[in-house]
Formats: sequence, structure tokens, C-alpha cells
Amino acid sequence: MKNITKQDLSKRITHLLLIVVTVLLLITGFGITEFRIVEPLTFGLLTKSLAFKIHNNLWIPFTVLLGLHIFLSLFKTRR
Amino acid sequence: MRKLITGAVASSAVLSLILIATNGCGVSKMNKTEELKPVEIRQYEGTKLSSVDDFRENSIRGPQQVDIETYRLRISGLVKTPKNYTYDEVINNRQHYKKTVTLDCVEGWSVTILWEGLLVRDLIAESSPLTNARVVIFHAYDGYTTSLPIDYIMNNDIIMAYKMNEITLPAERGFPFQLVAESKWGYKWIRWITEIELSDDVNYRGYWESRGYSNDADLDKSFFEQ
Repeated sequence: MKNITKQDLSKRITHLLLIVVTVLLLITGFGITEFRIVEPLTFGLLTKSLAFKIHNNLWIPFTVLLGLHIFLSLFKTRR
Repeated sequence: MRKLITGAVASSAVLSLILIATNGCGVSKMNKTEELKPVEIRQYEGTKLSSVDDFRENSIRGPQQVDIETYRLRISGLVKTPKNYTYDEVINNRQHYKKTVTLDCVEGWSVTILWEGLLVRDLIAESSPLTNARVVIFHAYDGYTTSLPIDYIMNNDIIMAYKMNEITLPAERGFPFQLVAESKWGYKWIRWITEIELSDDVNYRGYWESRGYSNDADLDKSFFEQ
């Protein structure tokens, strides 16, 4: 754990957040187009309107995280 | 060589006889008239039309199969004479209209279709609406509802369509009737209409409207309540 540099940590956090946001984008996308399936599967939690709201608001964090993900991947970590 | 030619001719003759026999000489089939699948038009007065198959299925309970024998269209609520029409009574002896209108869905897709139907205001006028009617509530076979201001219905040529691209509405597209709520988001274009109710409840909200969608549903505004 002590070998992890700040650069490593920020990379990991970015990659992890990007995965979370991408999965959320996919689920909410299905929540919009396949609401008859997703709504009962989530016990009524992810309604079509909620899915729309989340999906529409995720594009900014997704773009930022994707940009960071590419940017951080350009630099090799020093060992 | 001669034998070969004779053999080929003989086999062709036998094959032809078999084919004629299995097809019943083509006589009985020629006398029958078979109804083929109707063909939609894809262009109208220079406008390229979408196909009836270009829609995405997004109804609340899937496509509905309406039995036309038992089907009734009710005009109810704040009217002097409530009506109960059969499909034929709605279709026949009325002025019909055609219009090319684009449906814009909140999901991001759109379709341009040639709609044919009758004006909703004509139907409502036959029931003599009361002066305190403010809202027209549409009910569908699957339980879906939506509403529009009566002024919007009366002051615009709003069609209740029974044909699209010159073919009768397929079941999945809303047979027998679909509202063509032009300049409104797709969730106002109710399908499988069974009842048109006039009301004075200006706060009435339909299926999606009660789940956060805008009651105005104007295309130039967001479909979410601000």
C-alpha cells in the first residue's frame, strides 16, 4: 500500500469512478427504453422519469472522467 | 445423342405434367381472390415518410389487441349528450382529414407519418360540450391516460387517426384510434383511445404527467416539469 504514489491513486480513483458512471449510464439507459422490465426489477426504485433525470445529468461527469482517464493513461507511473 | 435428347424431352414433359397436377392446373387458384398485406406509402406530396415499423414500442403495458366487435368510443363528462360510438359509427359519415405530422418522442427518436382521421373537435361538438369544460381527458384501452386543454383541441386541427401511411393502424400502433397531438411530445399521442372525457379539472394529470412529465408537453420546452 505504501508503494502507491499520488499519481497511482488518482488513476485508480478515476478509473473506478468511470466504471461506476458508465454502468450507471447503461442501467439508466435501459431504465428509459426498457422501463417495463427495469422498474419491477428495481422494485419500483428506478422509474422511467428518474432514469431520464439521472441519465441526462450524467453526461458531464462521464465526459470529464473519460478525459481524465485518457489523460492519466498517457503518463507512465514511476516505479 | 438422339436418345439423350428424346430422354430429356420426355422427362421435361413428365415433370411438367406433375407440376400442373400438383397446382390443380392453376384454375381453382385463379378464381380465388386472396387479400394481401396492405402496403404503406413512403412518400407524400414530396415529403419522405417514415415507416410504421420505425416506432419504438414504449407503451405502458405492451401492444393491445382491441376487439372491434365490442369496441365502443365514449364521449363523456361535461357534455349535454354523452355518446357511445361503435368503430363504424366513428369512421362513417364524417369528414376525414389527412395530414403529415412528425411525432417526437422524449426518448430521442422521431417519425414522420401521413395520418388520416377525423377532427377531435367535430366529435366533441356532436356531444355539445358544456361551457365549464376546460380539459379533454383521453383514456386508452390499456389504462393509459393523458389530457390536453380544450382550447388546444378546438383551436387546432387535431386529428384522431385511424390510418397511417394509407393503411389502417396496426394493433401495435394504436388500433383503432391514435391521437395526433401535433407540436406536443409523444406521450400526448395516446393510442388505443376508448374514451374522450371533458372535465373542468385543470390540474388533472395523466399517466406520465403524474410521474414528473410536463403537463403542457410543448415541443419547444423540456418535457420535465421545471
